[in-house]
Amino acid sequence: MMINQLAFGPWLDYTVNGLIIGNIYALLAVGLALIFGVANLINFAHGSVYTVGAYLGWASITYLHTPLPVTLVIVITGSALLGVAIERVGLRALHGSSRIAPLLATIGISLVLDQLVQLFCSPDPRALASQLPDLRIQIGRGTIGTLDLLIAGVGLVSATGLYGFLRYTKLGWAVRATAQDQDAARQMGVDTDRVNVTVFAIASALGGVSGLLVGMYYNSIDPNMSFDATLKGVVAMMIGGLGNVPGALGGGLLLGLTESYGIALFGSSYRNLFAFALLILILVAAPNGLFGRRRDLPPEPMTGTFIARSRPLRLPRALVAGVVLAAALLPLLPAPYLLQTLTTALLSALLALSLTLVAGTVGQISLGHAALLAIGGYASGLLALDCGLPFVWSVPLAGVITALLGTLLVFPALRMQGHYVSIATLGIGEIVTLVILNWTGLTQGAMGLTGIPAPAIGGIELTSVRSVYWLVLVLVVAIALLQTRLLSGHLGRTWRAIREDEVAARSYGVAANRYKALAFGFGAFGAGVGGAITAHLYSYIDYRTFDTTLSILALTMVILGGLGNVAGAVLGSVLLVSLPELFRAAAEYRMLAYGLVLLVLIRYRPQGLLGTV
Amino acid sequence: MDHQAPEAPLLQLDRLNSYYGPVQVHFDLSLSVPAGQIVCLLGGNASGKSTTMKAILGLTRPHSGTVRFAGQPITGLPTPEIVRRGISSVPEARRLFPAMTVQENLLMGAYIRSDARAIGQDLDRVLERFPRLRERLRQRAGTLSGGEQQMVAMARALMGRPRLICMDEPTMGLSPLFVERVLDLIQEINRDGVSVFMVEQNASLALRIAHFAYVLQSGLIVLSGPPGRMLSDARIRDAYLGGEPGL
Ligand SMILES: Nc1ncnc2c1ncn2[C@@H]1O[C@H](COP(=O)(O)OP(=O)(O)OP(=O)(O)O)[C@@H](O)[C@H]1O
Ligand SMILES: [Mg+2]
Repeated sequence: MMINQLAFGPWLDYTVNGLIIGNIYALLAVGLALIFGVANLINFAHGSVYTVGAYLGWASITYLHTPLPVTLVIVITGSALLGVAIERVGLRALHGSSRIAPLLATIGISLVLDQLVQLFCSPDPRALASQLPDLRIQIGRGTIGTLDLLIAGVGLVSATGLYGFLRYTKLGWAVRATAQDQDAARQMGVDTDRVNVTVFAIASALGGVSGLLVGMYYNSIDPNMSFDATLKGVVAMMIGGLGNVPGALGGGLLLGLTESYGIALFGSSYRNLFAFALLILILVAAPNGLFGRRRDLPPEPMTGTFIARSRPLRLPRALVAGVVLAAALLPLLPAPYLLQTLTTALLSALLALSLTLVAGTVGQISLGHAALLAIGGYASGLLALDCGLPFVWSVPLAGVITALLGTLLVFPALRMQGHYVSIATLGIGEIVTLVILNWTGLTQGAMGLTGIPAPAIGGIELTSVRSVYWLVLVLVVAIALLQTRLLSGHLGRTWRAIREDEVAARSYGVAANRYKALAFGFGAFGAGVGGAITAHLYSYIDYRTFDTTLSILALTMVILGGLGNVAGAVLGSVLLVSLPELFRAAAEYRMLAYGLVLLVLIRYRPQGLLGTV
Repeated sequence: MDHQAPEAPLLQLDRLNSYYGPVQVHFDLSLSVPAGQIVCLLGGNASGKSTTMKAILGLTRPHSGTVRFAGQPITGLPTPEIVRRGISSVPEARRLFPAMTVQENLLMGAYIRSDARAIGQDLDRVLERFPRLRERLRQRAGTLSGGEQQMVAMARALMGRPRLICMDEPTMGLSPLFVERVLDLIQEINRDGVSVFMVEQNASLALRIAHFAYVLQSGLIVLSGPPGRMLSDARIRDAYLGGEPGL
């Protein structure tokens, strides 16, 4: 009895907290579900709208000294307009292209928006006071504050407003009809472009407001909060079922409560781990969501998500040999800075080669690929530090470990298709990062691994820029050649067959999952080796060294070169890594540049530089 | 109201060439639907029938050729605009809004209209014609039987007060009883002054109600004429109308 009474107060607080945060997630998820409904698109720019909303509120309070109601109106209007702009400028032109294209475009848009916020408002966190009297109502041993009530109120008003809109207005009917069958809606005379814009405006307004409310709740905002918001919104939406608006509401609240109780039981650094574990669980066990009645839609409507049919441009052998020779002779020039840059580029080429195999040849667009680098880096670093293994052993062993562990981790995603693969790999990547952060006993947690020995072969340390460059170059060329060989053989044909039509490939007796796993394993080995060498070069890595931004960057490289294209992956890495490096002044605009490159490519050259249609 | 000559067809397709990517589906396709008539387009699988519907409704855009409706070119107009000019459709496989109720589906048919009172009256009138739907008004359309769905699709098309209804295989997958009912309904609708352009695989059914028919084969009109002539020509019957497809 005693214990119960003691614990009751905090538990009430945890419940209230879970519901409040859940409310925020619900606001995000409802917007994502609305957009998914009409546009068949997971909007990765949603979190950026949320951030922009928070900063709009901050700016109007700080500079215009607006009272709360006016702040809310400004944030709602501004975010809605931003949503309209995203749809009109970024996405409308992509109508009719494959469905992964707009998804990637929203990633590009989010990179651009985040960077713009950083440029205009500085990357540092800002305080965002709540503007509300700090009253707390005592309930039993727990308390509820005014801000809690405001958030609950906004959630309630939005939910009823949305319900009324969808059920009782003509445009609301059009939104529902479009979500169920876009072509049929057009044949009823519905202007689906207008529906799209409306939905983006509504969803973005909700997203912007939730950014503002979260900022006030924690009294802090910063430009990096976008990604987390997108992920949480996506998780909440998936719990409710893709595109299921009431489901998204429930999913948000459920996610908020799960996190809050999880924190109560295990501590706050596990918070995101719960969210992503829940995501993978849902994807595997209930891809239609927890509240989805048996839908009339197929469970995985996202097949055939290729950006563009592209055949690789045939490069003359002599040209390739010439370029490799030139690259090998480059260290003879006295240009250490160039060499260093190229080494970095070639290391990322290992990641790009891996991704182009998985995403391009087999058609599994992975958004968490950098996690493979992390596994490789940590494996080799730990083997060297804890077991004293020399570089020549720890690196290949790290590659093998990455291949095994990576394939094992991605296993649940292998039977998925299209968007589901992307979301699952994103989640798995995040889980890897979080495990590294929390498994302090093995990984030193947030401290990172320090003192990883420099690369050495046969007792001789490779200290010169030149020798490291050569080492990485040899590796890249070897893996690229091997990959080319594999692709031109039976294995390559099978992989492509799976990409083109998994159902048909299966019916010919191809064990698609096994072949996908094989591609993943091979790719993971290369990426793991890349991560391992990086770790030895840096001598220090932590859980943020290989983050999702890197995964996105790798995807951009691969698309730039031409999805599935081996030479293209190397070219894409070299261009994207070294160009910004060589124009040093542009360093802070780098993410902006990557975002724009991604957008321009998807719009104008989806087959990449080395692809032909 | 109409300033055109009485013989001018309501709908006219003039030398359409349509493609999906590099694959050509229509080759100089021309046909017309005179006002007040039922015109059928017959053809086997993959002959390009549904694509003809899509071209009329603006869902695909032909590379060359024109579609005229009531004397005006409508090629390349957005679908909603074409619908607003008076063309309704009963798409292939019905395409109802599965999570909406029957009533909501019917009202979606009147989306282009804003005369609330007249819409209410039309709803009553449509329900008189399709009495079976009245008891199902609050049921989700996705849970209806195939025949009922066909009724909803036709009723929904009528709710827009169209001058022309385009139907894609309206009898597909229905039991013989429902097939009869659908054919009767099409004739009733037509008697009320709505022209009908109907795409069918089942030639002998379609020819029973059509005023005029075209036969499409691999994107080419290979034959056209009033149904009587088609049915009486044994050679034609064997080549194009015989061996009726099972579905
Ligand atoms: N969206 C599309 N993309 C590519 N090709 C298509 C598409 N839709 C139809 N086709 C092709 O165009 C041709 C004509 O198709 P269409 O649907 O018009 O045939 P149909 O006469 O309606 O056939 P059915 O009787 O089976 O409905 C077919 O070969 C089909 O494969
Ligand atoms: Mg058809």
